[in-house]
Amino acid sequence: MRFVTSLKELLAHFVHRERLVLLPLLVVLALAGLLLAATGGLSVVAPLVYTLF
Amino acid sequence: MSAVLGLSGGYHDAAAALFVDGALVAAIHEERLSRVKHDPGLPFRAARACLDLAGLRAADLERVTFYEDPYAKLERVLVHGLRGLPGGWRSLARGLEVQLGQKLFVLDRIAGQLGVDRRRVGFVRHHESHAASAFFASPFERAAVLTIDGVGEWTTTALWMGDGERLTQRSHLELPHSLGLLYAGITAWLGFPINGGEHRVMGLAAHGRPTRRAALDRLATLHPDGAFTVDAAAFDHFRDLTRGFGPGVEALLGPARPPGRPWDLSDPADRDRADVAASVQQLTEDAVLGLAHAAHAATGCEALCLAGGVALNCVAVSRLAAEGPFREVFVQPAAGDAGGAWGAGALAAVEAGDGRPAPLTHARWGRPVDPARAAALASALGLPARRVDDPAREAARRLSQGQVVALCAGRAEWGPRALGQRSLLAPATDPAMPDHLNRVVKLREPFRPFAPAVLASHASAHFDGAPDHLTPFMTTTRRVRDPTALPAITHVDGTARLQTVTAPAAPTLHATLSALHAAGGPPLALLTSLNGPGEPIVDSAADALAFLVERPVPALLVGDLLITRPGGGPP
Repeated sequence: MRFVTSLKELLAHFVHRERLVLLPLLVVLALAGLLLAATGGLSVVAPLVYTLF
Repeated sequence: MSAVLGLSGGYHDAAAALFVDGALVAAIHEERLSRVKHDPGLPFRAARACLDLAGLRAADLERVTFYEDPYAKLERVLVHGLRGLPGGWRSLARGLEVQLGQKLFVLDRIAGQLGVDRRRVGFVRHHESHAASAFFASPFERAAVLTIDGVGEWTTTALWMGDGERLTQRSHLELPHSLGLLYAGITAWLGFPINGGEHRVMGLAAHGRPTRRAALDRLATLHPDGAFTVDAAAFDHFRDLTRGFGPGVEALLGPARPPGRPWDLSDPADRDRADVAASVQQLTEDAVLGLAHAAHAATGCEALCLAGGVALNCVAVSRLAAEGPFREVFVQPAAGDAGGAWGAGALAAVEAGDGRPAPLTHARWGRPVDPARAAALASALGLPARRVDDPAREAARRLSQGQVVALCAGRAEWGPRALGQRSLLAPATDPAMPDHLNRVVKLREPFRPFAPAVLASHASAHFDGAPDHLTPFMTTTRRVRDPTALPAITHVDGTARLQTVTAPAAPTLHATLSALHAAGGPPLALLTSLNGPGEPIVDSAADALAFLVERPVPALLVGDLLITRPGGGPP
């Protein structure tokens, strides 16, 4: 619940005409972070990332 | 009842300040409790200590305010890092890891650790908290406010207008044009730590001449409107903000001095570095004066408040007070980032409708020391300890005999200066004393000066000018009238960073200086912080005893308890 408040405030900060350009980068970073957190670390994600690139 | 808590931290100098019904109740640096110098964490110990002093629980807090905007800070790290690509990719990755992994969720951590509803936890901008700490602590109803530091979210320097309970930003400068980062860069180039070594550069500057100013002027340009621009490429700020300087600085000034190498000012290389210190100090003073003239023209105010790390440069403040356009100048004792906690709390109090706090007239806002605890510890350690009827007279007697006395009285100080609550006192007339304290007690560079504390009523007899808003907090310097009479506290340039002492502000220190005067001596003493090398200032009785055991100081007074060190002087 607490994290939701921060994420809402973060979104509110970046949903701004001058800052919108940063949103895609932020989303990619957040998804990468989520993936790492959900899978428990780089060792699990590494083969997937290797295949992608 | 309305209780609001201001917090700073997560970078350096974490602190907490508690206001109840608009009145300051406690303000504490985290480092004094954690014993980690310039503690970079979050101030949970300090916050709980503030609540304990007020007899409150976290659930009683109406508002908790953090001193900077975590989302704008993430934006800055992102944009700044992108500008530094491709060379600065490591710095960007490290910055994002810290921001996304910890700092982005700082308000959640605060809510969770303190047990406060997350909806009660908010933030103000970094320079707004600095401005509030300067203006709301000042005695002025209307004043210009300058905030000058390394960097907040984006802002490095800002001009504010303070009027009653309102603070309005008038203009600002953004990264990379930062006077604080410029000074920090030269600090790092000289081999001193950033965010902790800047005052050493200021002390070293008096030993040099500003012969390298032309080189410094290639790193920063001062404009006629008070603004300045900094050559960010030379400092490598886009690639790495943590090192402080880049190859461009070394190309201009020469190779950086390795940290930790002993200083020898008879060595031409070290003399040249002292000249660089003098040059950056002069540049900083000129920049601050330029900003002050611009602030005066823009606001028409007669009073100026300063905050931010650069405001701790007491030599620049002294020149500003003497040569600047303002009739009155005020710098509160914790002008650096710790003061952001005070400002954030004061802003929350004003927003809650509690009005602006009373002007800050003393620095005794920390935890009280417990003589009974000191007695128990002294007994356990086998140290001779006894109660004395008049601790001030005992301290004065020992000072008259040429001894160093450690003084621990009442509540600890707010701000980086020891102001008579947790201080080491020594005779100001002993020319050998600075060397003894630097080499034996404090283990620091031989060029570091020591400050005097003088009865406010007698200050003008020993120092130029009268006491003002700056002198009670040691945030300015004054010329010593007779340097030969006071060699221990006179810096090489003939000045001293004096503290003028009144009974309400520092009762024990005032009584000690009065006793010295009554005994026929000058009503002043050398005063330095009570701490060992690399340590935060002593806070508790246990810290004070640890200092006495470790350092060769003959006597420690904790309240009315006198503890002596065997073989360290008369009991």
